Amino acid sequence: MEPITLVIILVCIIIGGMFGSLGVHLLPVGGAPAAMSTATGIATGCVMLMTGSAMTGLFTASTVANFWGTNPDVFLVSLSGGVGAMLMMGFTMLIGNLIYIFGAGIVPVSGRVAVDPITKEPQTEYKTPRTDGHGVPNVAFYSGMIGGLVGGFGGALIYVVLVSQGYAGFSVETAVIVALGIFIANAIMAAYNIGGTIEGFHDPKFKERIVTGLTCAFIVSLMCGILVLIAIETGALAAGGMV
Amino acid sequence: MLFAWMLVIVFLAFVACMFEDLESDIGSQSNPNSQIQLAPEMGYIHRYYNKAISGEGLSNALACTISGTIALLLLLMLEPMLVAKDMPLGYAAILAIPVGAMVGSIVHMVRCSTCHLGRESAHKRFEQPIFLDVWIGHLIPIATHNFLTVICITAIAYIQSHLTLLSGVSGASNPFPLPLLCLIWGITVGAIGSSTGDIHYGTERAFQDKPFGEGRRVVYHGQICRYGDCGIRTSKDVAAFCAKYGGPATGLTFGLIVLFENWRTVIGMVLGGLTKTELAHPGVAAGYGIGIGIGVAIVLIVLNTWLVKWARAKYGPFVGE
Repeated sequence: MEPITLVIILVCIIIGGMFGSLGVHLLPVGGAPAAMSTATGIATGCVMLMTGSAMTGLFTASTVANFWGTNPDVFLVSLSGGVGAMLMMGFTMLIGNLIYIFGAGIVPVSGRVAVDPITKEPQTEYKTPRTDGHGVPNVAFYSGMIGGLVGGFGGALIYVVLVSQGYAGFSVETAVIVALGIFIANAIMAAYNIGGTIEGFHDPKFKERIVTGLTCAFIVSLMCGILVLIAIETGALAAGGMV
Repeated sequence: MLFAWMLVIVFLAFVACMFEDLESDIGSQSNPNSQIQLAPEMGYIHRYYNKAISGEGLSNALACTISGTIALLLLLMLEPMLVAKDMPLGYAAILAIPVGAMVGSIVHMVRCSTCHLGRESAHKRFEQPIFLDVWIGHLIPIATHNFLTVICITAIAYIQSHLTLLSGVSGASNPFPLPLLCLIWGITVGAIGSSTGDIHYGTERAFQDKPFGEGRRVVYHGQICRYGDCGIRTSKDVAAFCAKYGGPATGLTFGLIVLFENWRTVIGMVLGGLTKTELAHPGVAAGYGIGIGIGVAIVLIVLNTWLVKWARAKYGPFVGE
């Protein structure tokens, strides 16, 4: 296979992995405390949430990639995946808020900022004392939508560059499993970096930890990408554009 | 026919995610289970079913993938026989899908048992007993709820991977094989069930004696509600409560996600010149799908902004200490 194609595949895997990690940092993850309305965010862990939304995006991306047959348009397919993940996050956060508001009688507020940076709504007087916020306030919602878009774009990008006959040419099943593996590896690294809960881009933790997170994602994706290139060159996974 | 099958998928998705959430309430799993786990350590002995199979996403993915694999094996065995006898292929699916789901749920019971026994044994030093009637008595309810989740997901995967055959439109099938679709939807259904329905269990039902209308403070952690309407509460009492709001709301989430994902893709295909044999303009189809998706996202943002504003106005600032 030509060196330029290999370099493009490696660069796309690295970009996809880093976008996945960035997406995890942008999502409002509340973890176990959020299920007890002790922390702001969605009541599940980083990895599960990002993987779930990336899977939804990947499903749509695979259907859209099928429109072309063998050489899908990389940008449009990745964007379809991103929009799919964004919609999944949007619905999850909206109905999560419905359960917080009507099932538990709670006002969604942030625990890390005193005033919502986008809608300028005050947060502290609506928050339960001795909790770290609860629900999904507006700024966390916007951050989650952007995180879903970015993460889904990354996952779908890895998939489409692996499945396209013009690039790696893996079979559909192999491309999905490889994309899933690389994506989850990056999501887990990001989850370790976050260390529990994060509210989104307005959280002070985001600015402190994003550079470390993206550096780790770069290294992990680079190593995974090199493995993929070795697999292509040696024909180990029946890849390499072989028909 | 394509749209009719889309609506069938959406209905199955609704049922699947509702039962996923109820299964994670009967066999206490995922994030609220952290409180069930904490309670004996703080001296509160309980009779809940304490399992957490490495997260709901992976637990459901495993059950659904086992089911999908068994279903695919049966389909591969039975379909050639039906083709040879010139009978409709539906006879194979109607046997394969429930049998696969049954196997998936039985293996799920094995995982539930090891999880519960392992976790409760670790609590021996806090004097938390392993109640054998709690363990055995919850296995069948867990398996039945899991069976409904798994059979719906397997049916969704079957329809999506055979959509060309079912609707008569070429290229409509998803390229993924059946077990892989089961894996993907299993992870998604677990992730959604973990994010939405768990709030109703964790905040409301597990701490039902704490005041309604406030978050659960850190000092309350571990002090779960152990006494039920009549006697000591078990996890079966939780599912009946959460089935009234948390379960259906979770089902609604997944149903809406599947609806809008499939609907915008199909509308994009129709606007991109879909005929029974081919798709004329793939780029236009993808573009319309993305455009509709962004439109729906904007509607969601507006809805959430309005909802939060309404809640702030209706409930007002926090009252009390």
